[in-house]
Amino acid sequence: MKVQHDIVIVGAGLAGMRAVIAAAEKSKKLSIALISKTYPIRCHSVCAEGGTAAVMREGDSFDLHAWDTVKGSDFLADQDAVEFFVREMPKEILRLDNWGCPWSRTEDGLIAQRAFGGHSFNRTIFAADRTGFHEVHTLYERMLMYPNVIRYDEYFLTSLVIEDGKIKGLTAIELKTGDLILFEAKAVILATGGAGRLYGFTTYSHTVTGDGMAVAYRAGVPLKDMEFFQFHPTGLVPSGILMTEACRGEGGYLRNKDGERFMERYAPEKMELAPRDVVARAMWKEILEGRGIESEHGYYIALDLTHLGEEKINERLPLIRDAAIKFVGIDPVEEPIPVRPVAHYTMGGVHTNANCESPVKGLYAAGEAGCVSIHGANRLGSNSTAECLVFGRAAGEKAAEYVLNADYSHVSNEVYKAEESRIFDEILGKSGDENPYQLKKELNETMDKNLWIFRIEDELKEAVKKIKELKERFNNVEIVDKTKGFNTDLVYTFEVGYMLDLAEVVAIGALNRTESRGAHYRLDYPKRDDENWLKHTLAYYTPDGPRFEYIPVTITKWEPVERKY
Amino acid sequence: MDVEFRIRRFDGEKSYWQTFNIPVKRGMTVLEGLYYIKENLDGSLTFRASCRMAICGSCAVKINGKPRLACETQILEIGNSLEVEPLDNFKVIKDLVTDFEGFFKKHEAVKPYLIRKDDNYEEPVELIQSPKELHAYYDFTLCVKCGACYSVCPAAATRDDYLGPAAITAAYRFNADSRDEGEKIRLALVCGDNGVWRCHFAAECSEVCPKQIDPAKAVQKIRFKSAIETIKSIFR
Amino acid sequence: MVMWQKWFSVKGKSLFSIAFSLHRLTGVVLTIYLCMHLAYLTSIRMGKEVFESFIATTVTPQFLIFDILLVLAGIYHGVNGLRLILHEFGLTYESRKSILYVSVAIVLIVWLIASYRMYTFVMGV
Repeated sequence: MKVQHDIVIVGAGLAGMRAVIAAAEKSKKLSIALISKTYPIRCHSVCAEGGTAAVMREGDSFDLHAWDTVKGSDFLADQDAVEFFVREMPKEILRLDNWGCPWSRTEDGLIAQRAFGGHSFNRTIFAADRTGFHEVHTLYERMLMYPNVIRYDEYFLTSLVIEDGKIKGLTAIELKTGDLILFEAKAVILATGGAGRLYGFTTYSHTVTGDGMAVAYRAGVPLKDMEFFQFHPTGLVPSGILMTEACRGEGGYLRNKDGERFMERYAPEKMELAPRDVVARAMWKEILEGRGIESEHGYYIALDLTHLGEEKINERLPLIRDAAIKFVGIDPVEEPIPVRPVAHYTMGGVHTNANCESPVKGLYAAGEAGCVSIHGANRLGSNSTAECLVFGRAAGEKAAEYVLNADYSHVSNEVYKAEESRIFDEILGKSGDENPYQLKKELNETMDKNLWIFRIEDELKEAVKKIKELKERFNNVEIVDKTKGFNTDLVYTFEVGYMLDLAEVVAIGALNRTESRGAHYRLDYPKRDDENWLKHTLAYYTPDGPRFEYIPVTITKWEPVERKY
Repeated sequence: MDVEFRIRRFDGEKSYWQTFNIPVKRGMTVLEGLYYIKENLDGSLTFRASCRMAICGSCAVKINGKPRLACETQILEIGNSLEVEPLDNFKVIKDLVTDFEGFFKKHEAVKPYLIRKDDNYEEPVELIQSPKELHAYYDFTLCVKCGACYSVCPAAATRDDYLGPAAITAAYRFNADSRDEGEKIRLALVCGDNGVWRCHFAAECSEVCPKQIDPAKAVQKIRFKSAIETIKSIFR
Repeated sequence: MVMWQKWFSVKGKSLFSIAFSLHRLTGVVLTIYLCMHLAYLTSIRMGKEVFESFIATTVTPQFLIFDILLVLAGIYHGVNGLRLILHEFGLTYESRKSILYVSVAIVLIVWLIASYRMYTFVMGV
């Protein structure tokens, strides 16, 4: 089957839906399709808790926000993009306000702000500790106003059609019926989120498997800075559920087994509110040096909120309290929460410029799936939802402008036939002796062990070898469920294939980068090396593994200096 | 400790029960149990899941007769044998996956977005809303659209076109928002033949809501408002 | 489970749902009773004797148990109906649980008193 739309947006999270609205506002004549693997409000963006950063009040300034972001990124961020980002952000907050987002308020009815790690001003806007949830619902509901938006819920992306350096469309499986659908489009926006499920201990939803990144990568679009993977300091032990940074923003402490607030040894000024890479490393070091607290699920660090009082916790952190009680049976009002650093954010993504344009004409990427890059080597808390809003809008607008002056180009039936036979004959119909669940498990173990917070050459080499072996074995995978309709087994197998490709890029990229910068920390190269490594990594697909290139970082106002908190 | 999972499955033609025995540790949730089955025992088991932290609303299923989010239900709190079924009042697509298309259409039908005359996309302004005004509707914003309320609603069981508790709650959430100006429009939408007057107040929706939202309350509030408006219109 | 069976099932249901099912069931019972009642009344057209002999068959100890159950259905339907009207206007919604208990208590008390009076009347004690 074949359908035709001006713009096809893949991924219905914050960035995707913001792009839809931006494009729909641009012109009522455009036909806009939104494809998503889940229903839009089931996306992973709903899991964002802490808040969204924007300069709103007296005393704060765009330059300060930009400086915090650049310093947080360990100077790998492109500063022109950062400046654009901080200037656009306040309007996005107000738009959401006008569209019905229930922001938390100050006593006089203004939008309230709280402290967050790495920011030198209390600039994080929030809606209790369900910020992402409310933002997603607000955007989804707003999206319903536009009659020229057509939603394709529960469609799974399988490939992009790119010819002569220009996007032609994409193919996706309609899960309900199991049919392959060809979407012809003048422009495609990828907003498929990160690649978090590479790791086993992670805050990510089960659905975040880097589909868009991997599909683009296979189609020849380069991935940027994939070796930088953020570890959030506070993931609930044992499930990895996110305990928001706002816990510390509201005044929570981190304590080791002696009850000591150990952050004073690592970041004497900012303490618990240092950027995430710093805090995560400090916590992991405490655990490695035997000062973690022992439990049946391994060592952990205590996140102490008991001194905040029940009233404040109920008002500002209701979800955290609820989750801690439901998932580990601990009431944070009375006891500290057991936490450990956890895989949380993919700084890298599809290579784009500050207008979200990828090297392929008509292909855009926004949000976590793209890499503009404003996060560089380490993202600051509450900048990710912000990025989705600003760059979702930028992508939507740019795509709409592009589409208004572009023509449809048809995709030949051969392409569709080839893809159909690849999926249903080669992958679904194949027999073999491997099962995708086992491969995924082994991948997760490797990533959790060898590509964690502290990295070292031997372990990275081992990881690369293991991932290559897994890729080899993946060719021999057999799917148990042979039916057509709603085949989650098939989807899972696809996802494992995507993740293996991405894991390879992450591992080799990390092995190549012989320095420590932001979230990428090499025990054998513990210093930042601006002379050789102040540059972005680009990974291109080849059948035998990624080929790497490097491009310079854009620096406007802020020269790299030593990073201290 | 071994726990028995009885799962009602559906392969597109026939429905049948299948039993799995799985090892369970303290702290394991029903969703983790389902994943254990999918990964180790039967890869064809089909269910929806995403966030596994009770905020996305994907994994509502009937557990021992009651609709709950699988991800936040501890197996050992239920006991050592449990029955998992797809939600009632929804058409089953496969195993535990049900068709939510109509459910979302109904949500869409009540215009669940802020309606303002001075809506300005290019130059938004900060709207003032006191914490008290926020609290007046905040609880109703927490709906995750998991469908639990709809699956137990006797009015929805007897009439397919009943809007259902979730959609009406969404309408109430915006009506109660101090920034909104579209109450009249929405009242006209939810007070029709398929709207609030279909409710018979079994209040089961409020009992099963995993977010403790109280959809039944929203329905009754809208009814009262609708009655008042009707009486007023007689004298106008 | 077939649709009609659900009306009688209590599995997975809250008290409110059970109250709702009972309300419907008693409604059906009362409607049937109403039809019978009208049929009895209509019999007066066949003469006073016919009517009285009909009535006499109902005021007997064998019939008493049905009457008592009928009264229970009537009282339940009435009191529960008042409770619903209260809630459906959006009133006293927050204390709905205690109001349910109170209504059930009222139903039982009124029913016991009524049953006692009917018993003494029919048995002539």
